Amino acid sequence: MSDVAPARATLFLEAPEPEVAGLARSVLRDRSVRIGVTVVGVVVLLAVAAPLVAALVGHGPTEQFQSEALDSSGVPIGPSSSFWLGADGNGRDVLVRVLYGARVSLLVGIPATTIAMVIGTLVGLLAGFFGGWVDQVLSQVTDVVLSFPFVVTALSLVALNRTEDGSSRVSPVLLVIGIVAAFSWTYFARLTRGLTAELRSRPFVEASETIGSGSWRIIRRDVLPNIAPAVIVYWAVQLPTNIVAEATLSFLGIGVQAPTPSWGNMIADAQRTSLYQVQPWFLIGPAVGLVATVVGFNAISNGVRNVLDPHHGTR
Amino acid sequence: MSVFAVEDLRVTFRQRHGADVEAVKGVSFAVEAGRTLAIVGESGSGKSVSLLAATGLLNTAGAVVQGRALHHGTDLVGASAEELRRLRGSQIGFVFQDPQANLHPLKTVGAQVAEAITSHRREPRRQVRARVLELLDEVGIREPRRRIDDYPVQFSGGMRQRVMIAMALALNPGLLIADEPTTALDVTVQASILDLLRGLQRDHGTAIIFVSHDLAVVSDIADDIVVMRGGVVVESGDADEVYGAPAQPYTRELLDAAVRGPAAGPDVEAGPDTAGGATLGDPLLQVSGVGHHYGHRRARADTPPAVSDVSFDLRRGEILGLVGESGSGKSTLGRIVAGLLDPSAGSVSIDGSTYTSTGRRRARPRLDPRTRGRIQVVFQDPYSSLNPRRRVRDILAEPFDLHRDLAAQELEVELEALVNTVELAPSILNRFPAHLSGGQRQRVAVARALALSPDVVVADEAVSALDITTQSQILALIRRLREERGISFLFISHDLGVVSELCDRVLVLNGGRVVEQGRTEQVFSAARDPYTRLLIDSIPGKRRGLVRAGAPTGEEGRVHV
Repeated sequence: MSDVAPARATLFLEAPEPEVAGLARSVLRDRSVRIGVTVVGVVVLLAVAAPLVAALVGHGPTEQFQSEALDSSGVPIGPSSSFWLGADGNGRDVLVRVLYGARVSLLVGIPATTIAMVIGTLVGLLAGFFGGWVDQVLSQVTDVVLSFPFVVTALSLVALNRTEDGSSRVSPVLLVIGIVAAFSWTYFARLTRGLTAELRSRPFVEASETIGSGSWRIIRRDVLPNIAPAVIVYWAVQLPTNIVAEATLSFLGIGVQAPTPSWGNMIADAQRTSLYQVQPWFLIGPAVGLVATVVGFNAISNGVRNVLDPHHGTR
Repeated sequence: MSVFAVEDLRVTFRQRHGADVEAVKGVSFAVEAGRTLAIVGESGSGKSVSLLAATGLLNTAGAVVQGRALHHGTDLVGASAEELRRLRGSQIGFVFQDPQANLHPLKTVGAQVAEAITSHRREPRRQVRARVLELLDEVGIREPRRRIDDYPVQFSGGMRQRVMIAMALALNPGLLIADEPTTALDVTVQASILDLLRGLQRDHGTAIIFVSHDLAVVSDIADDIVVMRGGVVVESGDADEVYGAPAQPYTRELLDAAVRGPAAGPDVEAGPDTAGGATLGDPLLQVSGVGHHYGHRRARADTPPAVSDVSFDLRRGEILGLVGESGSGKSTLGRIVAGLLDPSAGSVSIDGSTYTSTGRRRARPRLDPRTRGRIQVVFQDPYSSLNPRRRVRDILAEPFDLHRDLAAQELEVELEALVNTVELAPSILNRFPAHLSGGQRQRVAVARALALSPDVVVADEAVSALDITTQSQILALIRRLREERGISFLFISHDLGVVSELCDRVLVLNGGRVVEQGRTEQVFSAARDPYTRLLIDSIPGKRRGLVRAGAPTGEEGRVHV
């Protein structure tokens, strides 16, 4: 799913200003963070405002306007004063659906990445801190999970989720969140394990030992705060990847189910019906949304990493 | 005309946010052929920055260099990159502090020295190789023919520094700039590198600029001295004058801090066994037959043990020095005593109760809480021994949180008393380690060790990373704590000067074994072991009388037990 290995995993120990306020200020001063925050902000704002837009143009996300939006031969119309981005093959408003799709993307992507971060960080902390057999077992598990093919596993899980009468045992959205999280925690685990192992031998960790701190206390007070910035940056790296993963699943028809709009199933729809040839916005709409979100989050994570990296500017 | 003369050099760092920082404020100095100019100052004095700026090596964004740096009359400030490149290597040679970082790990040393030649002239390969062999021989690499195709990893730190010097001298430059070239090296190696530089200067008439933080180190080599502080020259002049009659109080302070040798104690005449009494006497910590072997059992046959069969007692209120060069096993021994590592043989006990274990190999020994509190550690590097993400208050409150149940107000009282003990202001509690100086950080580290009222503190190179005046302050603090609280210290150091000044007794380690132990004055005045004698002879500063003889001098301000 993600081939963005945490290659520049750096401990941000020498960050010049430890205060949160100072850090936030210098992060926000970074140009790429500013661009990213603006783009992501716009996406979030539009997602939040989706019902407003729907009310404004008077089209719900799943409402079909076959008479207004399709011409006599059933081909959707292009952008017009009432359908700003035109309509799709079923006569639904593409703009409204793109905005609702943003909600789905964020609603799946953010929880999935956060769950992955929590699990992965925990596993990585344990493996890196305790070493020995704990590390061996956890690293093996991580490697095994990494070796599962994402799409195939996802397909089988979705198949298992179907009951005999065709309904789902678990809500498909929850299932997608689960699948995406299950496949992305490994990256957090690897990152965290490396960082923790390095911190493990730092004198301040040993110093905590000499005053009698237990392992959990050291992990909580000494290790976690020092790896947190790296992990949070990686969250922002992983989030767009996971949004794409959700879109992939929806594109394959096993994620968010029609008629609920999602960027993935909209792109799939456009492609399947070939209607994007006459109504390109059918495809461009969700694609632009996806690209903007991915680029926005990547810009943020890049910028934050640059600011936190003590070697910032020298490499 | 001087080989190299810097006139009114100013370096300003333009900050993107906030006021500009003037690091060098009008510095002038000059060096003649065949002479050595030593630039001495503590960290932040601007000594390295001014040299880098003068030779066009300062490529930090936002650095503005003004003034003149005349190399044989040509101004290097504002010279083109190409002109500077041609000069560097051929006319000006450089040797830096850390030979680990300055040699390419994947190229043979021969190739690297050869590059110093071929990057400036075209010469037939055979001729280059002959010159490289000659150079390696000149800098004292034994059997250069055999070593020329070895990689840096196969060389010790001292040998690497010799290779660096060979590279710097490859084209026989008229000027050699050495920035703390011996700081990362063991004392015996330092002495041999200083000898080498002196010899090379005699043979080639090279002008040398030697940058150091330590007046003792440069005392044997310097002809002229420039003392810098805060970006300005405090004092400059002929070395004899500066050492003989320093004009400035700051120079005197530096000189005092550089003086090495055993301090006098009132109980000098008393033998180790008769120096009884309640304060100093009863053995507190007993180390018996301790050995340690790293690695798995199978691999052990090939590697010598890090520590073998070490036994000693540490008495109440005693400062015991553990001296040795890198690889002598002193840090391993310190970790064992501190309870951070289990020995593979022998035992350590405090007040008769053993707290180490040789049985099950535990990744991290866990001492029972009471013993844990009695033995504390101060680490070498105050920059990495404090958690950068926690305030001093949280760092110091940790031991109280763990071992005592205090109300917020009681805790505050304890914390203030603690910072007071280490001579810091209570306002420091609210700061982060990043906002403290090296000395302040080390004081915080000492305070953390004191929080649990320990009986023994293992100080592992606790002053080695500090500036020399800061060093003396921390040493004074250790003495005071011993005096006031009767804490015993196991003071681990590679610096014999510091050890001789501070410790009551010394233990000399070589290759994991104790080669000599005894009262400090005894060891320093009449060492029995040849290795100990070599160590003592290598203490810098002999020529200028910066080393006190073994005999007590009864100087004021020294500790009285």
